[in-house]
Amino acid sequence: MLIPAEKRLDADTPPEKRGQMRDGVRLLTYWSDSGRIVHGGFPQLANQLEAGDVLVFNNSRTIPAELKTVDGIRVRLSREVEDGIWDGLILGESSKKLEFMHGLKALVTGPGTEPPLVRLVFSCSSGRLLRELYRQGDVIRYEHVARSWPLQDYQTVYASIPGSVEMPSAGRAFTWRMLANLQKHGIRLAFVTLHAGLSYYGDDKWPNPALHPEAFSIEDEQAAIINDAKANGGRVIAVGTTVVRALETASDGNTIIPQAGVTSLYLSRTSKLTAVDGLLTGFHEQEASHIDLLQTFAGEEGVKAIYKEAVAKCYLWHEFGDMNLIMKQARS
Amino acid sequence: MTTIVMITGATKGLGRALAWYYGRKGYALAVTARTENDLVQLASALQAENIPVVAVAGDMAKAEDAERFAALTLARYNKVDVLINNASIFGPGPSLLLDYPDAAFQEVLLTNTLIPYFLTKQILPTMLARDSGIVITLTSEAGKTGFAEWGAYGISKFAVEGMVQTWADEVADSNVRFHLVDPGEMDTDMHAQALPDCDYPLDPPQKRLAVFDYLIEEGAANGSREEAIIHQQKEGER
Repeated sequence: MLIPAEKRLDADTPPEKRGQMRDGVRLLTYWSDSGRIVHGGFPQLANQLEAGDVLVFNNSRTIPAELKTVDGIRVRLSREVEDGIWDGLILGESSKKLEFMHGLKALVTGPGTEPPLVRLVFSCSSGRLLRELYRQGDVIRYEHVARSWPLQDYQTVYASIPGSVEMPSAGRAFTWRMLANLQKHGIRLAFVTLHAGLSYYGDDKWPNPALHPEAFSIEDEQAAIINDAKANGGRVIAVGTTVVRALETASDGNTIIPQAGVTSLYLSRTSKLTAVDGLLTGFHEQEASHIDLLQTFAGEEGVKAIYKEAVAKCYLWHEFGDMNLIMKQARS
Repeated sequence: MTTIVMITGATKGLGRALAWYYGRKGYALAVTARTENDLVQLASALQAENIPVVAVAGDMAKAEDAERFAALTLARYNKVDVLINNASIFGPGPSLLLDYPDAAFQEVLLTNTLIPYFLTKQILPTMLARDSGIVITLTSEAGKTGFAEWGAYGISKFAVEGMVQTWADEVADSNVRFHLVDPGEMDTDMHAQALPDCDYPLDPPQKRLAVFDYLIEEGAANGSREEAIIHQQKEGER
């Protein structure tokens, strides 16, 4: 069911640099109960939702997580394991000792949670490392982008707590005008934090979610907003797969339990979702685990139908591209 | 929950007084200034009194520096309760506008408007997501009335007042509040620059802090413009 790359239209430029606003992208809405597909503009998202629904966003801020050693070897950080110790990806050959600018050093002490990740022990605490990332790091970019867009192009407008090595991109198209408009329609907004790790290891290797732990946190007030909406018959729509992961991990079957932790949850076709009723996401590489997650919402045929329609209607792929809303069912 | 206060221009004058006052009051601080050495010294002195502090040197009139300061602050505290946009530059002067250097005019206008613009833009989303927070921006009598020889400084404060009013209007539906504070004349480096021949005594900035307590602890209507001297007099009457 893979869409060949030559059939895809890749968005290589942020909409606001294509003469649009940030929210100037399209929205394909798919209703799993009926198989109905609706095309529209992303700013009209509120038309697909109802008062009482809650949109849940990931407010993790993208950090400049790519470092270069003094010898020019590129290192991509993926996840903080503990203070000063990270899993990362080394692009190309390297020695055990890595030396960066300004006296920053790291030792490769062994494998990371899954190959090709390695465990990196830095010469300083994570707090100091974050300062160094802002000083000498760069944002992680993939080949489909047209130019080296700056870090700010890789932030959502509501980005807050730093920690994602790649932008939680499902929320990128939102503007504050849209957020205000959704609230005017009676749709509630909640924010959780999940620091996204690397989504791609190169050479057609993608993370296995079960071996891809990600740190997340859900505060009391935000859990209360979600639980309250759900208790009153509202639907919970996750803005991005990171939010699905956080909420389903924190769900006890009925409610979201506020917590901070690490999740290795792998959601697949057979998983039963207990927290989330809908997913807003972009169009991405159709590697197995991403498709698995989409299938929990739309089923196998549903995902096929979505992608077939997106290709036929020239939807744009990737983080600067168009959006897809998958709803399990219309409200009863 | 500890209250987190973020202060720009924290190494001198009013900013420094605010950092010490709120640090000793048990608040946690995030401070910035352009000169790294001065900031490191301030941070060390605060830490010596066990005051929690994140110190990030940089030019907050640059978007990327504002992003870095916000990110490092939020990494440590997860939130900012009070943002005090205190930093500003006076520029050359006293000088008639006809004699004013054009490059300095541009620099003062940009610096004094971009610092609160960029930092507020970085911190406000977090406040809106929590539906709580206070943004206090420093202004001046010269931001309400044009005075001869105050040059671009006063003009920049007119702009700042307009920006704060705009922001206050835009967040009116939330519980986030914007305020302007005119601290009045104080014994600071900036005052010496603006009025080098001043022949009357001036209060130190430490005397002008009651207004901040009032805004943070009691609360005032969103968009209010406060004069520190009035709050100082009220406090004196208590």
